[in-house]
Amino acid sequence: MFLNSLVQKAQSFIDPALTPITSSHDKRPSKAILFRYQFRLPDSENPLHEITAELTIPLPYKSSAGQGGPKSDGQIQGNIYAGKLHLSEQYLCFTTLNTSFHTNSTFQASTAFTGQTHGTGPAGNGFTLPLCAVRKVERLPTHNALCALAITTWNGTASAKSSTAHYDMQRFTLQLAGSRQACDTFCDGLKKGLRNGVKQLDNLRTIAGQCYSEYLLSGGPVKSKDGEGGEIIREAPEAGLGMVFRYPGDPRKLRDRSKMRLWGEYFRDNGRNAMLLRQPTFHKLIRVGLPNRLRGEIWEITAGSFWLRLQNPNLYTQILSKFTGRESLAIDEIEKDLNRSLPEYPGFQSEEGIGRLRRVLTAYSWVNEEVGYCQAMNIVVAALLIYTSEAQAFSLLSVLCDRLLPGYYSQTMYGTILDQRVFESLVEKTMPILWEHLIKSDVQLSVVSLPWFLSLYINSMPLVFAFRVLDVFFLEGPKVLFQIGLAILRINGEELLDINDDGTFISILKTYFSKLDESAHPKSENEKLRSITRFQELMVVAFKEFSQITQGMISEQRAKHKNDVLDNIENFAKRTSIRNLGPESKRLSADDLGRLYDRFYEVLYEQERDLQLHRIEIQKMAGPRTPDPVQNSVEMGRVGMGPSPETMNYDGFRILLASIAKWAVADAPRTPFDISFEKDGRLAPNATPRHPEFPTSPLRGKRIEPADHDFMQRLYGYWNKDDKDGLSLQNVVAGIAGIKGARDVMETIAYFFALYDDNKDGKVDREGILRMSEALLFLSRRGLEGNFTLIGSSPNGMDESINGSDQITISGSTLNEKFLSSVSAFIRRCFEYADPDNPHSGQQNDISTDLGQFSIGEDEDDLLDLSPNEEKDIQETPTKTTPKSPFLPQTPQTPSKQSANLALDPANPLHITLPTFRMVILADELLQQFFEFSFAESLHITPQVPGRTSSFPLQTPTLTTFSSLNTPRIFAPSTPTIPNLHNTDHQSSIVPVKGIRGLLDNIVSDGMRVAAEVRKRMDEAQKDLDRSATGRTDDEYDDEDEDQDARLQGFFARVPSQNSNNNNNNIDTEKRIGVSDHDRDLLDGAEVGSIKEHDGGILVERGPNSAVAALDLLSSSSSDNGGDGAQRRDLGGVEKMFES
Amino acid sequence: MSDSNASVPKPSSSVKLVLLGEAAVGKSSLVLRFVNNDFQENKEPTIGAAFLTQKCQLPTRTIKFEIWDTAGQERFASLAPMYYRNAQSALVVYDLTKPSSLTKAKHWVAELQRQASPGIVIALVGNKLDLCTATGEHDAAEAENSETATEEPQEGDARKITTKEAKDYAEEEGLLFFETSAKDGTGVQEVFNAIANAIPETQLKGSRPAGATGQAGQTRDEGRVNLNANAGAGGPKDGCAC
Ligand SMILES: Nc1nc2c(ncn2[C@@H]2O[C@H](COP(=O)(O)OP(=O)(O)OP(=O)(O)O)[C@@H](O)[C@H]2O)c(=O)[nH]1
Ligand SMILES: [Mg+2]
Repeated sequence: MFLNSLVQKAQSFIDPALTPITSSHDKRPSKAILFRYQFRLPDSENPLHEITAELTIPLPYKSSAGQGGPKSDGQIQGNIYAGKLHLSEQYLCFTTLNTSFHTNSTFQASTAFTGQTHGTGPAGNGFTLPLCAVRKVERLPTHNALCALAITTWNGTASAKSSTAHYDMQRFTLQLAGSRQACDTFCDGLKKGLRNGVKQLDNLRTIAGQCYSEYLLSGGPVKSKDGEGGEIIREAPEAGLGMVFRYPGDPRKLRDRSKMRLWGEYFRDNGRNAMLLRQPTFHKLIRVGLPNRLRGEIWEITAGSFWLRLQNPNLYTQILSKFTGRESLAIDEIEKDLNRSLPEYPGFQSEEGIGRLRRVLTAYSWVNEEVGYCQAMNIVVAALLIYTSEAQAFSLLSVLCDRLLPGYYSQTMYGTILDQRVFESLVEKTMPILWEHLIKSDVQLSVVSLPWFLSLYINSMPLVFAFRVLDVFFLEGPKVLFQIGLAILRINGEELLDINDDGTFISILKTYFSKLDESAHPKSENEKLRSITRFQELMVVAFKEFSQITQGMISEQRAKHKNDVLDNIENFAKRTSIRNLGPESKRLSADDLGRLYDRFYEVLYEQERDLQLHRIEIQKMAGPRTPDPVQNSVEMGRVGMGPSPETMNYDGFRILLASIAKWAVADAPRTPFDISFEKDGRLAPNATPRHPEFPTSPLRGKRIEPADHDFMQRLYGYWNKDDKDGLSLQNVVAGIAGIKGARDVMETIAYFFALYDDNKDGKVDREGILRMSEALLFLSRRGLEGNFTLIGSSPNGMDESINGSDQITISGSTLNEKFLSSVSAFIRRCFEYADPDNPHSGQQNDISTDLGQFSIGEDEDDLLDLSPNEEKDIQETPTKTTPKSPFLPQTPQTPSKQSANLALDPANPLHITLPTFRMVILADELLQQFFEFSFAESLHITPQVPGRTSSFPLQTPTLTTFSSLNTPRIFAPSTPTIPNLHNTDHQSSIVPVKGIRGLLDNIVSDGMRVAAEVRKRMDEAQKDLDRSATGRTDDEYDDEDEDQDARLQGFFARVPSQNSNNNNNNIDTEKRIGVSDHDRDLLDGAEVGSIKEHDGGILVERGPNSAVAALDLLSSSSSDNGGDGAQRRDLGGVEKMFES
Repeated sequence: MSDSNASVPKPSSSVKLVLLGEAAVGKSSLVLRFVNNDFQENKEPTIGAAFLTQKCQLPTRTIKFEIWDTAGQERFASLAPMYYRNAQSALVVYDLTKPSSLTKAKHWVAELQRQASPGIVIALVGNKLDLCTATGEHDAAEAENSETATEEPQEGDARKITTKEAKDYAEEEGLLFFETSAKDGTGVQEVFNAIANAIPETQLKGSRPAGATGQAGQTRDEGRVNLNANAGAGGPKDGCAC
């Protein structure tokens, strides 16, 4: 089902806890994913080593460790934390919280270990340290631990006591607790990582230099770091638009200065930016709100986007220059909203601010086309830009879209909608009374909460408060949004219980948001209580009362609701899409449209997925894991639910067709197994199987292999009306509607004709005629659909069931044989009645043209083709003279013979027109029925039949194999006449039946091969003509003939009837015909006659007519004893039909 | 669905109205004009939806509009059922200067006719009339429309959709039709008045009946509104099959 695939597709990105991205059998996230999420590391990181360890962070410099650097004795005083040390390719991470990065962990399980962030962000005390930030690692002598490491980073602070270029470097120790071997392994890994880390040092210098913390600690203008240069006046690094346009809120009220001082102190003691250690104060400092100038930097560090920039500091500028000038739909949408993003903030009334916003949004839309641009992103990015540089905002946005807000901004916004459902369920769980009430009053909570989540409260709350929520959100992850939302409802709970419509509900909350800065307890006696603002209250309620809201709970709820949500989205999209498919679609039923829609997108999705897998393969083979971070994360988003491609290429088209029509299923792929069969001696000695449909085909049970045939290519081209590089759903629907929704047989015939009318001039040439016949064989090779009847057919016995008086329903092998004959006759008739391309130069009277005109004279198209000698020719038309069975070889040299003969002469280009084609089709009962219903019925959009692959004959192991065909064991002697067996249902499991069915399939496909051969020969004949008229023999030619012989022999051998003798004779006969004779014959244009003089027995001849003849053989040899004449109406009959 | 028969519509004055249309056609601006008689040049895009109320005084009764103003970007479309659920009326807005917005409007009309409450009163509104200098009865492309060529089409006229084109469509589908400017206020009040009038008194209800959890996309058969009776533009037609 389409939905299932979508769901799967979505799953992995709605929540990594739901599906693994790496391992396919295990439903759990891989250890690597948990690890990355825990420490917010780029996708390039994998957990390599881990070990229990103790972290000792020296007490603030002022007390002990100030000078205590190098001369350490291993007994540094400081804060000691026990926890786990992890090593990845480029990071050393430590956390005091037990992690649970087992291969089969879930987020739910890891929640218990990983504290506040529940495994989706850095929690606990510790650090996430890029190895390039490590300046030195010393192994310390210790008494109590096996291994102690002192780590010195590049962070340094101007020494308090010295004014020289001396710095106190950040230094802390780690005591590893593990076996000596474990310690050594870890240290080796670390060494290796450190060596590699050096490469990133420059990057680190670059981006650390852009950090405000760096500037802060160096006290503004600073001595150059490399020690050589003199004084360098450094400008304060960029910290967002706020530096120019002021930061929102009153800095005094926000107590920005004291916050800044506190952070300065914290940095001094614990390192800064990339080298920041997390101690309890860190979390507290974030909860009270970040100071303006540090806000961007801390966001980056906590969200992990800092690591993305560390990997490639210039990514943003590179993207801008790479894509500049690129247009896209997203850009139009972005432009629309640029002036509409936080318009109340002065920075976004200016070109400067708008310019930044434009660049960040477009850069992201280029890189992540799947997301492109979603309204609300403008608001979020605008908000970020107040505190961050463009590059910072860009990488933060990447982390938001890829990790923190999965699926929120995607094309379908499934993530947003899903989280509303999750939110509702959490409300129900935590505030059942309020929930009840909302239900009773028919208030839809999600309507209210959606903007909260989508724009991270930025346009719901006054900006200052929204930023405080963001501060915590970037550290603690998505659950913060839920906690805040729940707290809002809880705080307003009482009032909300009084409302009974959306209106009041919304206005209560609006009022609440506007009063967030007021006292929460204005009437309280207690001054301290009175000083608590509503916002502070909100934070307390959110993080204390709702501390039980964990990431695990959210994952669980997401998993529970995702199907529903996706269903809804899907249904909506489908409904809308189907409604807009254009007038053609009205010819199909709503059911069919629905199914086509499903199939169409299912195929597109599968292709996309294959491509994805392929890409991953290639990446794997490419070796070293150094993927571009953004590229990589975008890759993740790609698989996520979002826009599927909207157009289908030819391969997709084939797959689609194969799922609705059995003729579009390929005959089994060629396998080398046929040789082994020959060894078994189970094949007739002279049989050369070419397309054994092999029961053990590796493809069996996997996916149906679509055929690739000229007919399908034409169909594709014909459907592709817009001439784009793919078919839209509308194209497909229109194309199928043309067949399935055809009003009558005429329309279908015209449709088919149009497929071959390459230059749209109303003519199909010789080549086209052959291709048409091939197509008919192609379409029928797996059996025909629908109830074919023959009128007045002579009882061929076998499997015809009497149906009324003279109407006989035929099916199965009889039908196939007869259809084969019909196709054979089709070719012949086409040539007979074809018009010469240049009628006046032709030396013979052209009968066929006029016949065509005559027959379907009412058509307008053919007026152009009216030839002057019409009347005279009519007398000569074969309709008057053709014997009853035009199909059987005839002895008398009728004009038709000659014209057919002429038709095959490459020197006389010819064509048929639609009226001619129509006539030829209608002349044959079976062909007529084929176009009347069978062709349309061969498309099974509704599922009872194909659609689902398993019902396909190809999938039936016993079907159509040479082994079954040619082994006497299978054609058990007790079954004398083959056709009899064919009464049974195709699907039935009696082996012989399968065998016969397979036989027919092979006959058909051999017939097609013969037709192909005809064309080849005609080409060759043409070549020969070009070269000379002397009967030249050449070896190459002979070889080919030899080849053909073998093939034909194989084919005959497979006809296990009395005819086998005949066949052998024929082959002999054929061999006797010399090539030069043949060539001469061709030149003389006389070979048809000579061949037809023989009885039905002469079947294989050399020359352009061999197809016709071979086809004759097919019909006559397999249904042998006559009835041919009765099976088809002759042209005379048809003509009369038209006359009357 | 459970409550549909329980709610015998009481005469009342509460009408749920939803605004739909392409992004930036001026839905929020229309509402702002109607509710506050105000206009903001740089209106933030609507995220999800916004909710406002405003009363509309008719000679015989007062109608209180509960207005759901939705987001216009295509990807928000799948949220729309959440908002038009139970709506008795809808404003489908397009931008007179943007041809694509009329196409989108037509899609919305079709969606409403299929999925919204039966009998929902739909008004088609072409906004930003202030940008159009001419009346719209003529257009470069429609020059041969002799009967309408009363005014010279002016240089710089931003109009891309003629009045006739939209009006014909509206008539065909049985929609109310207006051209407005949220900026200068032209026609805005008229739209809401006309909608108020198009909703039969007898079909009005006080507060929406409680119950029915209502999932997104669910429509309820309630408070049937007969557009034919009032709109006079011919019955809503099943213009579209699916
Ligand atoms: N000249 C003119 N501009 C208008 C008019 N109505 C709206 N606008 C402008 O068009 C832009 C979009 O208006 P909005 O009201 O936000 O559009 P919307 O349809 O609500 O957009 P979304 O919420 O994104 O779907 C704003 O810049 C408005 O100033 C109008 O009548 N005339
Ligand atoms: Mg809006």
